[in-house]
Amino acid sequence: MADLLEIDAVCASYGRIQALSEVSLKVPQGAIVALLGSNGAGKSTTLNTVSRLVPVTAGQIRFAGEAIQSWPSHKVVSAGILQVPEGREVFRDMSVRENLDMGAYRRNDAAGIRRDLERVFEYFPKLQERLQQKAGTLSGGEQQMLLIGRALMAGPRLLLLDEPSLGLSPLLVQQIFAIIERLNREGLTILLVEQNAAIALGCSSYAYILENGEVALEGPSEHLRRDDSVRRTYLGG
Amino acid sequence: MDLQLALIFLQQGIASGLVSGSVYALLALAIVIIFKTSDVPNFAQGEVFMAAGYVALYLFVFQQMPIWVVLPATLLAAFLAMALFRRVVLDQVAKSAKDLVYLVIATLGLSYVLKGLVRRTGFGDTPRSFPALVPTDSVMIGQASVTLLDLAIFGTAVAVMAAFFWMFNYTKTGRAMRAVGMNPKAAQLVGVDLRRCHMLIWGLSGVISAIAALLISPKILMTADMGSIVMLAFAAAIVGGFSSLPGAVVGGFIIGIVENMVGLFISSRAIVLAPFLAILIVLVLRPQGLFGGKLTIKKV
Ligand SMILES: Nc1ncnc2c1ncn2[C@@H]1O[C@H](COP(=O)(O)OP(=O)(O)OP(=O)(O)O)[C@@H](O)[C@H]1O
Ligand SMILES: [Mg+2]
Repeated sequence: MADLLEIDAVCASYGRIQALSEVSLKVPQGAIVALLGSNGAGKSTTLNTVSRLVPVTAGQIRFAGEAIQSWPSHKVVSAGILQVPEGREVFRDMSVRENLDMGAYRRNDAAGIRRDLERVFEYFPKLQERLQQKAGTLSGGEQQMLLIGRALMAGPRLLLLDEPSLGLSPLLVQQIFAIIERLNREGLTILLVEQNAAIALGCSSYAYILENGEVALEGPSEHLRRDDSVRRTYLGG
Repeated sequence: MDLQLALIFLQQGIASGLVSGSVYALLALAIVIIFKTSDVPNFAQGEVFMAAGYVALYLFVFQQMPIWVVLPATLLAAFLAMALFRRVVLDQVAKSAKDLVYLVIATLGLSYVLKGLVRRTGFGDTPRSFPALVPTDSVMIGQASVTLLDLAIFGTAVAVMAAFFWMFNYTKTGRAMRAVGMNPKAAQLVGVDLRRCHMLIWGLSGVISAIAALLISPKILMTADMGSIVMLAFAAAIVGGFSSLPGAVVGGFIIGIVENMVGLFISSRAIVLAPFLAILIVLVLRPQGLFGGKLTIKKV
């Protein structure tokens, strides 16, 4: 199938520190692709170059065939690329409802927004119960649900998920990933950043492993799951 | 002082305090919306206020333009000046220097530029007053004497603040502004155009300052130094907690009333101390300000 997102030899740096050197990866339409790696490998930086929060110093990023590496961040959102950031980046002093409304910031189709709100409530009934609660007072798991819900409110074509399992109980991780797989079955393309390699390799079709800002290894997730070096380093033996 | 007189003073102090307080409240609001979203105290707010007053004076008195042209032209000039300052100067400074201190220094620079410009034109050499658009006949409210102009100042200020609160709390644009203040990264991730949002906020802050100038300049002698009134607006913002909009407004009225009370009950020479007195009392009793959230220690 055609590639929805292509990252082609992208370099990025923070001041003099080179964070990414010639990272290339592809996300086919309709797939879940995993991006793995240890702390500081450059996973979040990769997502942020796509979301246009981090400047690209070399290389190209294409979305549905169009070069987007010099777009402003809001244009990327309008095109349908939505990032669910790591850490609890909610609007703390806004209600859950307002956070979800912010997700639809670039849309004007009232009917479509209402439909997507219903859909978010269907995935995360917890959010509907807490519509008026301040987002900052939600539990960690609820905030993660809110972040995903907020991104869904934009009507995305591609979801960039940054460590959705971080800091959640095993049960919650299962629930979140059940929803991620369901979203994918319903047609959403997903680039999934994870440190939990076992679960990421379980739900993705293809995976890349970053080390020190470079792609160290890539392949179908099933192969990587059986690869000895991957097992030793990322799957704990 | 007998009780009767004290009661009259009390009423007069509140009435006059609400009038001067509405100007402090407007300016404090202009300062706080910028601080909440840019983390920068805009030290040029007083000079923007002053320059807007002179733009109006120039158009109305020297160019003899009709008032229905002067008012929108002044507000537009204030909007554009502030929006462009944000876009051209601050964005550029922010790009090359990560530290917020440089942005603060840039606002100090703007204040000197504006003052210098007004001085160069020479309009500020002789103190003038903007002609009052509303009659200055006195009316009694209770036992306090105020002018119709005072009532117009207070009424307009309250209406402007109400409109602004509505915009900030209930419109999509206002929600985006609050989002930028809370979490600029998350705001970008949902598609807020940060640059445009900041320009809009700085522009609106300029408009609010210009309205304050148009309201008060018939009552004062305009000079190039009239922007120093902004110290009282900063005092108001501090009293209110510095990042709370309702706090800024309430703080403005408190400073106005305290100032007038001190003038009436103690001495007109003690007025300059009044705002510091108010800050001192509030900060001792409530270090985070009247409307400030919990105190958080910022890591530096
Ligand atoms: N804003 C920043 N300024 C300077 N350096 C940064 C910044 N953000 C990230 N880095 C550096 O870039 C490198 C890659 O960071 P990145 O956040 O992309 O890693 P990551 O793979 O997402 O790690 P983690 O799993 O811990 O989230 C790290 O060495 C990090 O220290
Ligand atoms: Mg990361």
